[in-house]
Amino acid sequence: MLLRKSVVPLNRDSTGRFLPWLVAVMVYLAALALVSAMAMSKIVTRWDHGLSGQITVQLPVSESELSDAEVDARRESVIRLLLQSPGVLSANHMGAEETAALLEPWLGQSSGLSELPLPELIAVEIDQVAPPDTASLTARVEEIVPGATIDDHQRWLGNLLSLARSIEIVAALVVLLVGLSAVIMVVFVTRMGLAVHYQIVELLHLIGAQDGYIAREFQIHSLKLGFFGGLVGVTLAAVTIIGISQLLGRAGTALLPELTLAPIEWAILSLLPFAAALVAMVTARFTVLRTLARIP
Amino acid sequence: MVRFQDVSLRYGAGPEILDRVSLDLAPGSFHFVIGASGAGKSSLLKMMYLAQRPTSGRISLFGRDVSSLSRHDAALLRRRIGVVFQDFRLLDHLSTLDNVALPLKVSGQRSEEIRKDVVELLTWVGLADHLDAKPATLSGGQQQRVAIARAVVSRPSLLLADEPTGNVDNRIAERLLYLFEELNKRGTTIVVATHNEALISRFRYPVIRLVRGEVRLEHAETLIRTSDMPGYEASGSTTSGGASRLRGSPESAG
Repeated sequence: MLLRKSVVPLNRDSTGRFLPWLVAVMVYLAALALVSAMAMSKIVTRWDHGLSGQITVQLPVSESELSDAEVDARRESVIRLLLQSPGVLSANHMGAEETAALLEPWLGQSSGLSELPLPELIAVEIDQVAPPDTASLTARVEEIVPGATIDDHQRWLGNLLSLARSIEIVAALVVLLVGLSAVIMVVFVTRMGLAVHYQIVELLHLIGAQDGYIAREFQIHSLKLGFFGGLVGVTLAAVTIIGISQLLGRAGTALLPELTLAPIEWAILSLLPFAAALVAMVTARFTVLRTLARIP
Repeated sequence: MVRFQDVSLRYGAGPEILDRVSLDLAPGSFHFVIGASGAGKSSLLKMMYLAQRPTSGRISLFGRDVSSLSRHDAALLRRRIGVVFQDFRLLDHLSTLDNVALPLKVSGQRSEEIRKDVVELLTWVGLADHLDAKPATLSGGQQQRVAIARAVVSRPSLLLADEPTGNVDNRIAERLLYLFEELNKRGTTIVVATHNEALISRFRYPVIRLVRGEVRLEHAETLIRTSDMPGYEASGSTTSGGASRLRGSPESAG
């Protein structure tokens, strides 16, 4: 058919042959970076939801030998105090079994747990709108049980949040760097293509082709390469993610995060090939237009 | 049609290729450009098809000052100029048909509309049997006809040919010039650069001779007597140093 094929035979030379594979690697890295950021923010949300509204009162193991009855009495008076304090909704003692269950992910199912001198824990639900003043609460609990502490999880959660934020920043940086490298690669490949096909480009220019017409030849080629590379990269990333999430599922420990993606997150990943194609196309276009501007 | 006013050209810090050249080619005229190798024939033509900007001076084409053209308008102007390049510059991966159709495609015409015109033109230049042939399979003369067909397919008002007789034997070269004559009779302004003085002496068209960067106007028929004289310098009708003024001669028009 007449002139259906491209005028600049870009797919016949080797200039762009490696581009899809480089794009694939980059999209793969970008996808994994995005997924880690998404997983991290999910963990933080889960912990945040699970922990806010709760504080834990920790009564240390007494140094002086106390009878079980004395220990119980001490605990009961703390619980009474807590329940009388404004902002406290409930206070429940966590028994030895519950405490052991909490430690299980760290220490495993050990029969020796019950013999360990574990501190007593009281889970306190607080009113999030009008929370109690933890400092004064601690002071009053300490009058009954010296060395008692109240953990409002904020310090720990704060650290977790800043870790999550750092991972998000690193992920964004990785995506940015990957994008930048992709741009540089496409510029390089397009310039090579222009150099290899300079005769054709110049001829098109001389017979009256507008710059946009010539740029189109290159940008369509680049778009195809970018999309193909992006598709390969995102497919490999999906296989990796599914593989890891299955391994995590098999490990079955509460310590490790889950890695199952929500539909919206899969949708974000599936946009990557289109993003790669767009970056490749726009970069090729501007590269050609800049080069053509030097031809009188 | 083509007007140069005090046009000078030098590449970088090199010597002056063209020195304050002025010429004015009327619509429908036919001119030869001759001169020794390196005299600036190709440079003169390049400036006419907007591939080269002059170092100084003014060039206007079709009544428009080319230095003030936008890139968009320059492209539109180029579509009115057909160029037969010395090395043909056919695209190896395209068929004869596609090579010739290229200027039409570039100007945005649809494939269906293009085909009929292109086939008709290729029949006219005797290549009807080679529509699908790739340039590499054609002889030198056939390639040249493809190049000419491509140059004229968009019915340009100005046709420039750079050494079209260089790569073919005399018999084909002469036929080629008759082809240009035919196009000239249909109103196309034609400029042919060549070093083959013996050949052009058979045609009664004005000659722009380039000597040391300057232009002199001669008539082709005078070349019969003078071309084989060593050290010949112009005995042409108009000679005035760096600023000769040429006009398309009446007999070549129409």
